[in-house]
Parts: sequence; C-alpha cells; structure tokens
Amino acid sequence: MTVQKIISVENLTKYYDNNIGVKDISFEVEKGEIFGFLGPNGAGKTTTIRLLLDLLRPSSGKARIFGLDVNKNSTEILARCGYLQGEFSAYGNLSGNEFFRLIAGFRKISPIIDKNLKERLDLSDHDLLRKIKHLSHGTVQKIGIIQAFFHHPELLILDEPTTGLDPLMQNEFYDLVFESKKNGCTIFISSHNLAEVEKICSRLAIVRRGQLVGLETMKELKEKADRIVEITFSEPVENIEFPGTFLLEHRDLNYIFRFKGNIIELMKSISNLPLTDIVIKKPALSDIFMNYYRDQIHE
Amino acid sequence: MNNLSYLRLIWKTNRGFALFSMAFITLLQFLILYLITTFDTSSIINVIISQLPEKVKIFLNNSFFNTLTLDGAAAFGLNHPMVLALMSITAISIPVHHISREIESGAMELLLSHPFRRQTLILYLWVSGCLILLAIAMAALAGSVTAIYVFHHLTMNVFWKIVQISLNLWLLFVLIMSYTLLISTAGKAGNIAGNLSAVITFMFYLLFFLSEFLDSLKFTKPFIFFSYYEPQKIMFNKGHFLLDCVVLLSLILISLVMSLWLFKRRDIP
Repeated sequence: MTVQKIISVENLTKYYDNNIGVKDISFEVEKGEIFGFLGPNGAGKTTTIRLLLDLLRPSSGKARIFGLDVNKNSTEILARCGYLQGEFSAYGNLSGNEFFRLIAGFRKISPIIDKNLKERLDLSDHDLLRKIKHLSHGTVQKIGIIQAFFHHPELLILDEPTTGLDPLMQNEFYDLVFESKKNGCTIFISSHNLAEVEKICSRLAIVRRGQLVGLETMKELKEKADRIVEITFSEPVENIEFPGTFLLEHRDLNYIFRFKGNIIELMKSISNLPLTDIVIKKPALSDIFMNYYRDQIHE
Repeated sequence: MNNLSYLRLIWKTNRGFALFSMAFITLLQFLILYLITTFDTSSIINVIISQLPEKVKIFLNNSFFNTLTLDGAAAFGLNHPMVLALMSITAISIPVHHISREIESGAMELLLSHPFRRQTLILYLWVSGCLILLAIAMAALAGSVTAIYVFHHLTMNVFWKIVQISLNLWLLFVLIMSYTLLISTAGKAGNIAGNLSAVITFMFYLLFFLSEFLDSLKFTKPFIFFSYYEPQKIMFNKGHFLLDCVVLLSLILISLVMSLWLFKRRDIP
C-alpha cells in the first residue's frame, strides 16, 4: 500500500535580499502523522510554514500539499487546511463571536463553535462577547486554536501552538491534536518546545540556520543519538579510554562519558575494572537537540 | 469566500469616521446654503472685496465670487477644504489600515490563510472603499439638494449639476484611495504608506492651487489630478464633466491594476 504524501517539499529556498530564510529544504509529511518542525528562534521554521501557505514566494524549489502546487493552487489547499500562526493576531476590535462569524463566512460554514471544543478549552460565552483586544494572551490563543480546528481540516499547520497556554490547557491541546490525528488529520507542528515535540510528534525535522540538519522518526533519533554513560570505580584507574566514548566530566572516582557505538564492546572493556556502579542513560530530546546545535554554539 | 463577511469587516472598522464625515458634510452643505440664503452676504463681501488689492482679487479668482450666488455656494460647499480633508482622510486610511497595518499586525497572515485569492481581497477592499466614499459624496449631495429645496427653488438643472459634481468628487477620492492602495500593496509600512499618500495628495493640491494664479505653473495643470475636479465650472457650464470622468477613471484603473499585480507577487512577511 502506498502512503499518501500530504506535504512534499523539494529544495525549497527563500532569500530575504541577501539573507537566507531557508535553503534547500526537502522533506515529506505522510497522511495521519504528527510531524514536528524543531529549531530555535530564527532557524527558518516560520519561513517554511509561510512558504507552504503561499504567503511567501520561494526563491527556488517547490512545495506541494495534497499533491497540489502551493503557489498555483493555494485556494484549494487552504480550503482543506487549518492554520494557527505563531503570534496569533485576530482583529482586536471584533468580539470572539464576530471573529468566528467572519472566518466562518470566509469558509462558508456555520459560525457555531462546537460546545465541546469551547468547554475543553475553557472558553466562556462571556469571553466570546468581549472584544478580542480586551482578552488575555492565553484566551486569544484559545480563539486561535479553535479557528484552526473548527472546520475539521485535513491538514493542521500549527506554528508554536501552545504559546501563552497554561500546562492544563497545553494538555487539553495535545488531546485535541491526538483526536484530530485519530480522525485522519495530518498535523505539522513547528516548535522550539522540546518537551512538547517529544510528547506528541511521531517524526521530526530539525532546522538550523535555514537548513535541515535532521529528519528522523523520534525513535530513530533517540537510537542514533549518543548515550550518556556514568561509571563509578572503587579505586583509582589509569588509562581510562574505552571504545566509542568521549569523556565529558570527571570527579574523583566518577566518570561521565558520551558514548556512541556497540554497547557490548564497551561492557567487555570495562568488565575487568573495579566498578561500583554504571548508569547508561537514554538521551533526552534536549540532549539530541543540543548535539545538532553544538557546532553552532561553538562557532 | 463569503463576499459579505469581508465587506462587513471593512464597514465595521471604518463606519465611525465615515458616519461622522457624512453627518459633518451634510450639515456643512446645509449651513453654507442656509447662510447664503438667509442674509445678504453678497453686499457684505462686495464691500470687503472692493477694498482688496488687485493681486488678492486675482488670487481669489472668479470661483470665489461665484460662491456669492446660491448655485455657486452649493458648488463651493462641495469643494470646501473641510470636505476635501475629511474625504482625503477616509480615502487614505482605508487601504493603509486594511493592507499595510494588517500586514504589520499579522491580521493579513490570518486572512490569507483562508481560501480566497489575493486579488479577490484587493477587489473587495477597493469596492468597499468606493462604497464608503460614495456614501460620503451622496451625503454631500443630499445636504446640498435638501438645503436648496428648503431655502430656495430646486430645479432639475441644478439638481443634475450637483449630481455631476458629487460624482466628480467621488471619482477624485476614489483615485486618492486607489493610489494609496498601490502604495500600501507595494510594501510600505503603515505609517510610511499613509504619510507618503498624504504628502502626494497635499503636494498635488498645493501645485493645483499655485497653478491657479501663477502663470509660470499653468503648464502643470493637465498633469495635476485636482484639475479634473471642477465643481464651480460644472455648476456654471464651463466644465468638462465627461473628460474629467474619463481622466480620473483611467488613473483609477491604472492604480487598481498595478495594485492587483503587486499584491499578487509580494511576500506577506
């Protein structure tokens, strides 16, 4: 069975005058997956999203959504997409209800919001009667989330979606994302929140300075990443050098290594030493992320 | 795209100032014509004018003396600086607010993430602006016609001339709105687009004003779009209403087509 590609990006490049927005980015997002787009501020996440939504014109390369060219068929594509922008900015002079009537009009759908959705995001009728400019940042973000979800899109593009939400609301948002996935929706999330990406994404692209530096499933990423090995000896040991390790820290009889390689080889090489303890840690996403960015930090 | 949703949004955003302008201009027309008909302004002003130096009289021009008649006053009302200022503010603020400022605030990004073409958005914005300006021009027309009807005798001839002047006024401000739209779509930030458009409008008006009494600047007249708004001349059968309309419409169309083309190509940052 062939997997349907919902998003496919080929060598997408965008220059702002002489500055690189994104360069030679290529990736594909399959139907029904939650795809994370990870990178620090200014890495090119929002530029990529704006290219996908035809808000920016690419300098070169191509992007297709639902098999359609994003520049030539944007209207057809946008009818099937829900989008939450990074800093959600609605019309401040409209009330929540007026805002939903406006965008429902754009999509030719009913402006009545699903009661369940309102309750889950703790958005009261009173909130929806007030002008958006008088609402808190978190409440405005909830309105943004609802406007992205309320027409049941086939593809959700979410740029930093949980900004301004409290942890409770963040969890509710993650549940909404999982439910949408269950209903066949494909989700593209850009974030610099590692815990969020680790929690909800099945596959991940890492961008750095406008270029893609990693593209793996979460499992592959963790398997490929270096482990942290912490060894404690009972007495001083000379010539501490093991295959595949790099000494990170040493305090008295305690040594911390970064390890990448065959774990059996490592165990063999330390088996004759006076060990009291050994701990092998799976890397957290933050460690993996820092690996990708270590060079940049040192440069 | 539901056509009415975006039109409603534009009306809601601009209705406060538009309604104020409509009320103000209607009352202004009414007041000017009331003053002209209820006391003998012409004899008072004639006394003043007789004492003015010759150069000042030239500066004031025939158009000023024409205002001393009821018909002339009606035409003057539609060319009053307050009317021009209010309509200029409306014509400039609509595209600046809905293009430049919305791009800056991120509202345009939200708008364009919905399924409609950029050209549709520009066309709806332009049509909405035209309708708002038409409402203000019609308010001016209503004020003038009602005042003449109440205080004097409204003839079909005068009515038709006031309609022509109102249409001429409307086209002039649709042009100002259209080139402001062009500046906004060309990528200028909100303040820059607004200021640039206001400066262009003011410079053209100043040049038009100077070319009225400086012979050395008379050659510029055909190139100044304010020359194609001539209320006094239309009222006294000296104008070229059709030519004025054709020139203004041509400039409007050029501005609109260029706006559509530029907005289609530009990035929404």
